[in-house]
Amino acid sequence: MTKYVKYVDVTKCDGCRACMVACKNWNDLPAEPTDFLGSVQSHAKTTADTWNVLQYIEHENGKGDLEYLFRHSSCFHCTDAACEKVCPENAISYTKYGSVVIDQDKCVGCGYCVQNCPFEVISLKTYKDKNGKEYRKSHKCTMCTDRLEEGLQPACVTTCHTGAMEFGSKEAMLPKADKRLSEIKGRFPNANIYNPQGVGGTHTVYVLAEKPSVYGLPENPRVPASAIAWKDYAQPIGKMMLGATTMALVGAFVTNRLFNKEGRSESQDGGGSHE
Amino acid sequence: MSKQHVKPDMQVKRFSKAFVWAHAINALSFCALYITALPMYIEFFDWLYPILGGPANARLLHRIFAVTFVSPTVIYLIFDHKGFFHWMKELVTWKKRDLEFFTEFVKELFGFKFKHVKQTFFNAGEKMNSILQILCAVMIIGSGFPMWFPAYFPRAVVQWGYFFHNVGFGLAIAVIVGHIYLSVIHKNSRPGYTGVVTGKVPAWWAKEHYTEWYEEEEKKGNFPNLDDPKHKKGA
Repeated sequence: MTKYVKYVDVTKCDGCRACMVACKNWNDLPAEPTDFLGSVQSHAKTTADTWNVLQYIEHENGKGDLEYLFRHSSCFHCTDAACEKVCPENAISYTKYGSVVIDQDKCVGCGYCVQNCPFEVISLKTYKDKNGKEYRKSHKCTMCTDRLEEGLQPACVTTCHTGAMEFGSKEAMLPKADKRLSEIKGRFPNANIYNPQGVGGTHTVYVLAEKPSVYGLPENPRVPASAIAWKDYAQPIGKMMLGATTMALVGAFVTNRLFNKEGRSESQDGGGSHE
Repeated sequence: MSKQHVKPDMQVKRFSKAFVWAHAINALSFCALYITALPMYIEFFDWLYPILGGPANARLLHRIFAVTFVSPTVIYLIFDHKGFFHWMKELVTWKKRDLEFFTEFVKELFGFKFKHVKQTFFNAGEKMNSILQILCAVMIIGSGFPMWFPAYFPRAVVQWGYFFHNVGFGLAIAVIVGHIYLSVIHKNSRPGYTGVVTGKVPAWWAKEHYTEWYEEEEKKGNFPNLDDPKHKKGA
C-alpha cells in the first residue's frame, strides 16, 4: 500500500491559521480560549482539543535581521512511533496510509504515549461520565484518517490557500521537498528537510527555513532508549521469568508427590521431623 | 505434626508484632498493586478493568495501595528498630554455610533427601529473598514517584521510570511466587507461614531450621532446651 505524506513547506506559509480552524471544524474539537502568550501564537503547543497549532517564531538570523517564521505543527506520524510502542492496550496503531491513530475505545488514559512522544504532541483529556466519574482519553492529530478512507485529503491541507501544505504519496512528496530546498537555499542558508530518520522517517515532512531547534524541534528525535529497553526487553523477559519460576514450582510440587513417599511414611511411624 | 516431642505444640516467639504487621501490609499491598495494574501488563487481563471500576478507578486504587506499600518499612523501623537492624545485619552476613544451604535447598525443594545446614535467624534463601525484594521495592517505589507526578520530573526520568517499574515488579513477582510456594504449599516450611501470621513457631521446627539462632536464644535462657530429657519422647 502506498504510504502518504503531508508535505509542509513553511516558507510558503503566511500564518493565516486556516489549518487550525479546518482541523477544529472537521474533528469537532471545542475551542480552547487562551490568554495572550506574548505573540500572535494562540496556544503554546498542541493539546487534546487543539491538534494543530501554528507557531510564530521571531528569530534573529546570522546577519542580524529578524525572521518571522511560521510553522504548522501537529503529529508527525512516525514510521517508528514511540507512542505505538509504549501503549499497554494496543490502542495506538499504524494505518495502511502511514498515519498513526489512537483507538478511543481501547485507550485507558494511562498517558504513557504522552510521556514518550519525542515531539510531545499527544495530550490527555479528562471527561466525566453520566455518573460524574472522571476518565481520561489520549488525543492527537489523526491525519484525518477518516477523510483519507473516503478519498479526501486532510482538512488542514485542503484549506491551505498558499499551497504551503500538500498531500500525496511519499514518492511524489519527497522530491518536491528536495526541489523546494534547492530553491530557497539562497534565501535561507540553514534551510533543511525535516524527515527525521531516528524514528524511521515521518509522514509529515517539512521544509524548514531554519534549524529544527529554532522551531523547538529535536535535532535527532528517536524512540526513547528507555522505551526499547522496557518494551522489547524488560516486559517479555519479566513474563518469561514469572513463567519459569511458576513452572519450576509446579515441577517441585509434582516431584514432591512422586519421590517423597518415604518422607510421608516416615512421619507415619513417627520418625520424621518435618511436620 | 510429629509425635516425637512431648509437647508438639510448644511454641517459641520468632517475630515481633511490628514485623507481623509490616509483613502483612507489605504482602497485601503488593498483591493489590499487582492486580490493579495487571491489565496494563498483560492484555489478557483486560477483563479486570470493569471489576476494578474502570481504568481511572484502577489507577486510583493503585495509588492508594502504593502508599500502603511504602508504609511497612516505616512501621518496622519505628516499632521494632532492633529487629529491623538485626534483619539488615543478617542480609550482609554471608558465610560458607549459606552457599551450602542452596545445594541442600534444591534437593529439598524437589523432594529429595537432604540435610539441614545450620542457619541463623534468617536462612540463606530468606536472605536472598529479602535482598531481592528490597532491591525491587527500591526500583518500584523510586520509579513510581516520577510516574505518579510526571510534571515534577525531567521527561527522561519519567521515561526510565516506566522501565525500572517494569523490571522491579517483574523480578519481584517471580521471586514472590517462590516465596509464597515455600510458605503455603511446601510442607517443610509451612510452620513458617503460621509463624509470620501469629509471630510464633513450633520450637522443634525453629531449632531444626534456624539452629544457630535457636541455640543462641537457648543460651540466653529464652528458649527451652529440646534435648532436655523432659522434652524428649519417652526418653
